[in-house]
Amino acid sequence: MRLKNNKSSSKSAEIRKKNLLALLQKHGLHIYEDLDKGKFPQFIIPSRSVSNIVYDKKLRQYVLGTGSVVRSSRNMSQLRSYTQLAWLAFFVNRLVQEGKSSTLRDIYYSSQAFSIDFEDQPESDNIIVDLEAVTASPREDFHIFPEERSSVFGDLVIEYTVPGYEGKRVNLSDHPDGYLIGPSLSSAELVDTSAELVIAIEKGGLFTRFVEENVHKKFKAIIVDTAGQAPRSTRSLLRRLNKEMGLPVVILADGDVYGEHIAMVIKSGSANAAHLRELTVPDAKWLGVWATDIEKYKLPTIPMTESDIKRIYDLQKDPRYQEGNWKKQLEVFLKIKRKAELEAFSKYGLTNITDKYLPAKLEESKSL
Amino acid sequence: MSSNKETFSQISPSEFFYRNRDLAGFSNPTRSLYTSVREFVENALDACDQKKILPDIHLSIKAVDPEQADPKHYILTVKDNGPGIESKHIPHAFGTVLYGSKFGLKQARGMFGLGATMAILYGQITTNKPVTVRSCSDGKTLDEFVMLLDIQKNKPVILKHNTKEAAKTGLTVSIVLEGDYSKAGSKIRDYVSQTSLITPYASITFEEPNGEKFHYPRIVKDMPPPPTIIKPHPHGVDVETLRRMITDTHYQIPTVDDRMIEKIKKELGVQKKKLGAKDILDRAQKKWSDLSRPVRTIIAVMAFLDIDFDGLQKIRIDDIDVANKKVTYWDFGKAQSHAVELDTENPYYKQLANTVQGDTLLTFLTRRFQRVGPTTAEKFCEFAKFKPEKRIGSMTNEELVRLADALQKFDDFLAPDPSCLAPLGEEPLSKGIMKFFNPEFAAVIQRSASAYSGFPFIVEMGIAYGGDIPPSGLKVYRFANRIPLLYDEGSDVVLKIVNETDWSRYKIKGDPPLVIVSHICSTRIPYKTVGKENVADRPELERELKNALQFLARKLAVHMSRQGAADMAKKRANLYSKYVPLIAQFATELSGKKKEPNYKQLIRMGSEIEEQQV
Repeated sequence: MRLKNNKSSSKSAEIRKKNLLALLQKHGLHIYEDLDKGKFPQFIIPSRSVSNIVYDKKLRQYVLGTGSVVRSSRNMSQLRSYTQLAWLAFFVNRLVQEGKSSTLRDIYYSSQAFSIDFEDQPESDNIIVDLEAVTASPREDFHIFPEERSSVFGDLVIEYTVPGYEGKRVNLSDHPDGYLIGPSLSSAELVDTSAELVIAIEKGGLFTRFVEENVHKKFKAIIVDTAGQAPRSTRSLLRRLNKEMGLPVVILADGDVYGEHIAMVIKSGSANAAHLRELTVPDAKWLGVWATDIEKYKLPTIPMTESDIKRIYDLQKDPRYQEGNWKKQLEVFLKIKRKAELEAFSKYGLTNITDKYLPAKLEESKSL
Repeated sequence: MSSNKETFSQISPSEFFYRNRDLAGFSNPTRSLYTSVREFVENALDACDQKKILPDIHLSIKAVDPEQADPKHYILTVKDNGPGIESKHIPHAFGTVLYGSKFGLKQARGMFGLGATMAILYGQITTNKPVTVRSCSDGKTLDEFVMLLDIQKNKPVILKHNTKEAAKTGLTVSIVLEGDYSKAGSKIRDYVSQTSLITPYASITFEEPNGEKFHYPRIVKDMPPPPTIIKPHPHGVDVETLRRMITDTHYQIPTVDDRMIEKIKKELGVQKKKLGAKDILDRAQKKWSDLSRPVRTIIAVMAFLDIDFDGLQKIRIDDIDVANKKVTYWDFGKAQSHAVELDTENPYYKQLANTVQGDTLLTFLTRRFQRVGPTTAEKFCEFAKFKPEKRIGSMTNEELVRLADALQKFDDFLAPDPSCLAPLGEEPLSKGIMKFFNPEFAAVIQRSASAYSGFPFIVEMGIAYGGDIPPSGLKVYRFANRIPLLYDEGSDVVLKIVNETDWSRYKIKGDPPLVIVSHICSTRIPYKTVGKENVADRPELERELKNALQFLARKLAVHMSRQGAADMAKKRANLYSKYVPLIAQFATELSGKKKEPNYKQLIRMGSEIEEQQV
């Protein structure tokens, strides 16, 4: 059994919650004092404009530069969005204190009870990102979750912190369909595990196959279904499994340019989330399906579309694709102009992927 | 007569219109219903205008059988409080085509009064039902006629005529026609409401087939001054008009018939007596200055032929050729033509020459055209290379063409006289716009008169913004001679000017609640098409429209900036009183305080800050 390897980070979820609440209160106090003194309060928000997004080689992720914008209640055209941001801070404070969770859509509707009028959900979504930037915390810390959910399965004991379940523990291998990576799981403490590896897989179908084929036992693995591009709560869990439990993370995605990028985002984040840290797994490894695997394993393929090819050209401009295997695979994709899905291995039998491909790639990855 | 010759016989005007009804706007049941409404309403308004009567117009359209589907038969009735038409004129006015009182040169809605007869004709063709006319012209008796048109003979057929007592003058015309109200309805409603806008001194009621009633009350009690009939401007006549002016009744060779002989006897005061040739001439000599032109002409001929009234009855004057000094006549008794040399020494020669050859060019120009004095006329003669004393009756075809051409090209004529125009006037227009749109801002302008090709015109324009006007973008209401123009908006000169305007320069953005009312008055509106729905872009007209629009747009811009500043301050105040208390509420809970901060001063400051510099 592997216990948490870092004593100081025990109860990490609890600590993050306290830090956030303190930060929100600090902002509240600033505003309060400004109002009292007859000063127009303002927020300073790190700028998310394209020119302020840079790639940090040391952190191995996109980060925001030093640019920032002022949102002032003195400016009439900003007054409304300033108030929206103040309201969100206030509302998140309530959510976190009361241990309630909500969705992006909930936020849009909740605002109406306070005569804060968002024109549409994109406007409220945008204010949420503003608050993420101001507090440098992901929205999952605010107890705000997107609709999409992914799952996890494997021998991992967690301890809930959500109201009504405080202190309750479960083992994530108890239910064969896996556990939803939702608010309660995201805020739970990770207690211990016997696993030695985390396999993130792009598709729900293969996730189920892996459970059926006892991959978690054969490879001592925790299996995570990213359900396409991994949501932030999933990326956050992967990072915690890596940092707190010391487990290496490997990624299996479709053999196309999107699959390659799913792996990249888990490893080093997305430009969209450049204002956030702590969402990346810099040491994560992309197992496949590589462009070169398509040939090597003689996988059935389908031709790329126009947009697939355009996406390759786009990614070739990204600084993270300038060297090594990442660069090489893009080039091969562009050359063969064909792609293969994970399911393609079924041509050689349903268990071919778990029996043959996975062990081979794990072995290969050791040298990466 | 053989039937071959029939092919070349004339057709009556009624028959011509019957065969070409598409030209006059009667192409289908929808358009025909709309055109008929227009013709009757415009006739009614014109009649009231002419007699300075504040118009009271009632329009009703009823389905003969409401259950039937469109197109179907409708009864169209238009009633006015105008002067009415004298009983004896009614059959001709409504039962013949090309009978009208509008042949003068002045501004009127319709040109010749053709349209109403066309509508009657159309009704008769489509339903075979007669027209009913009720008229009272003396305030005492009302004549009711029920008539059909004899299309071949261009003559009315009176089916019924009766009279009864009446208290007020007025005219009611009612026809049955095939129409399609489901399609024409919206245009007719637009037409009536826009007519009320440009005729604010009229009261108009309109009853639709479904029984719904619209009432447009009179907004102003004063009528604009009526236009006067004036002589043509030299720039506005062509060869044909010129020929007609020269050969009109004054200069024609009189027809000798019993009526004419009676007329001569009456003017000489010799009805009872039988006089010889010499006695007649003596008598005429004494009364010469009182005699009418035709009588003078005939007496001069009698002097040359040396005949009395009995002799006169036996001849027909065929030609008086002053240039070759010859009179040609037909002798009924001998059934042959005779020519007589004219003795230039004879005192009657000069009279004959004057009468037959007409005025000198100089007199013709000064008498028959507007704003041409002797000095201008002389200058023109020099320009056109005609002798001023040249008799216009002696001009050859080539000379006439040369004269018409010179009249067009001579630049020193004064601008056309606008007294024949009847603009609405700034005040009635402004009141009409205020009542019609209930705007937050309105301005009007009447430009001074201008002219194109010898036709005077005046542009009147109004602009209205905000208030009850929906914010659905700029809308243009076009009028010409107080008629709403509803079709073919796209190609109209007014639209062109409005669209060329950069409205952002006048602080107008997006889909503004903005209305422009344009009224062009002219003796001849330069319509682009026969349909008379869009005005062509004559440069003179374009310039006037542009000036009017710019003047109004500048006024609007001043209003907008004033309004803008006031709106902004109000908006600021509203925003800060809404949002600051909310911010305070959130901050209080966030910071964990019990009492809310004192934010009152911030609301005040917020509404007072000037717009921040960008």
